[in-house]
Amino acid sequence: MSETIYVSDSTPSIETILVIDDDPDILALLEMSLTSDGFNVITANEGPLGLQNAKAEQPDLILLDVMMPQMDGLEVIKRLKDDTDTRAIPVLWLTAKSQTEDKLKGLEFGGDDYITKPFDLREVTARINAVLGRTRPVKYINPLINAMGDSFSEEGVAELGSHLQAAAEIQMKLLPEKPPTYDGFDIATLFRSSTSVSGDFYDFIPLTDTRIGVVLGDVKGHGIPAALLMVMIQTASRLLSNQTDCPATILKGINTLLFQNTDLEQFATMVYGILELDSGRFTYANGGHCPPIHFITDSENSENQNQNEEKFELLETGGMLIGAFDIATFSSDTCQLTQGDVLVLYTDGVTETEGQEPNDFYGEDRLIECFSKYITLSAESLCAVLQKELMEFSGTTQTKDDRAVVVIKRTDPKAT
Amino acid sequence: MFQITTDVLNTAIVHVQGKIIGGIVDQLQDEIEQQLQNGNNKLIIDLTDVPLLDSTALGVIILAFQVLQRSGGKLVLLNPQKAVTSILEVTRLTSILEVYETEEAAYNAFE
Repeated sequence: MSETIYVSDSTPSIETILVIDDDPDILALLEMSLTSDGFNVITANEGPLGLQNAKAEQPDLILLDVMMPQMDGLEVIKRLKDDTDTRAIPVLWLTAKSQTEDKLKGLEFGGDDYITKPFDLREVTARINAVLGRTRPVKYINPLINAMGDSFSEEGVAELGSHLQAAAEIQMKLLPEKPPTYDGFDIATLFRSSTSVSGDFYDFIPLTDTRIGVVLGDVKGHGIPAALLMVMIQTASRLLSNQTDCPATILKGINTLLFQNTDLEQFATMVYGILELDSGRFTYANGGHCPPIHFITDSENSENQNQNEEKFELLETGGMLIGAFDIATFSSDTCQLTQGDVLVLYTDGVTETEGQEPNDFYGEDRLIECFSKYITLSAESLCAVLQKELMEFSGTTQTKDDRAVVVIKRTDPKAT
Repeated sequence: MFQITTDVLNTAIVHVQGKIIGGIVDQLQDEIEQQLQNGNNKLIIDLTDVPLLDSTALGVIILAFQVLQRSGGKLVLLNPQKAVTSILEVTRLTSILEVYETEEAAYNAFE
């Protein structure tokens, strides 16, 4: 536990910026720019609302417009400085170039600096960073602990610590652990990381003696430690797996967690499924991820030699990508794996592998064709065949994308 | 890389040429911010000549969409091609983002 606490204490949290301006376009512009620079942004389109937000949300810094109807910026800062709750919050003035006198008056009233409209957005960020003494954004670890610390067990938080370590290992390009082995199932994985940090992930979660959770997904975003966001999702899916056996509910939970604790532009796509080892049922929900493919071999009728007939289903049921919209809803569905059936979960690095012709991508059709052709092989051989085919298709061994593939083959329907 | 049409008040069409990947994504974000700064809060991203966009680009579009929606503006997409359409469909973004096939239809979306 002590190590976990150390992690929590040593990590700065996301700074919150309150922008008070009556021009909605300015609010949108600053929200967009500052959000992508790693700040949490609150906006207020009038002075009184701004004062209310400042008191309630305790932002790290306030950007304040001078000229506003009803209550102007000078009145707002006066009230901020009169209130012990908000007195210490630094204020940067937003002012039009012509309002030089306002600038001086503003600083007199206690503003820390000023920025003139129209903005150079890089300058805005630079001024904010200068006032906050901020070096670079370090995110994700604290929000996760804040979000989970109260409502989850000590074991959960300890698990987070171990996952952070796992993330560091992934960052160092160590190969992931081997897939689990179960009677009646043949499971193999393929994992390739293109350059430094991979956003692809998969996980196997033991639930009971006869059920495992299978997770595969892809973390996206801009200028972020994708591996840490990945760990956030993995940890959340493991913890939520203890609370419910409904995949749709688990995706909804992860969606809420990500929506509340990361920037709008950061999201993930993922599939969460529960495999019943005795019956071969796979109950899943797909959160905006490329659909897993269930190859149906129909081995009981294999005598009629019609094996080339394409039989597969795409596991599309679910909902939107995860973490970008709090209104997202999800649903679950089930598919039945019988002997010889193969279930393939993969990330879009597979289908977006670029061929030697410009704008020709490997695509879902080729993937289906490849697996259909070699469906009788073992899970591990199927992974090897796919990898070889992708290499031949692209004409290079250098993958530009991350790739993760999980292949699950049912070998014995009577296994218990 | 980007051509801008601003024939209609407060409205800009950002015509993008080529894949929106890697460093281009930052340029797209800069361009959107520039349009906001110019007072154009109704944005049409023209994807006619975009063979592919990456997840980071999707993130910028999601961010701009939400920010504009909250501020009373709007962002719509114009004429995405096969690969981009498939990305929008798989991620189910089509259930939230508005996608139009013609400029006229996209303009009408702001009325």
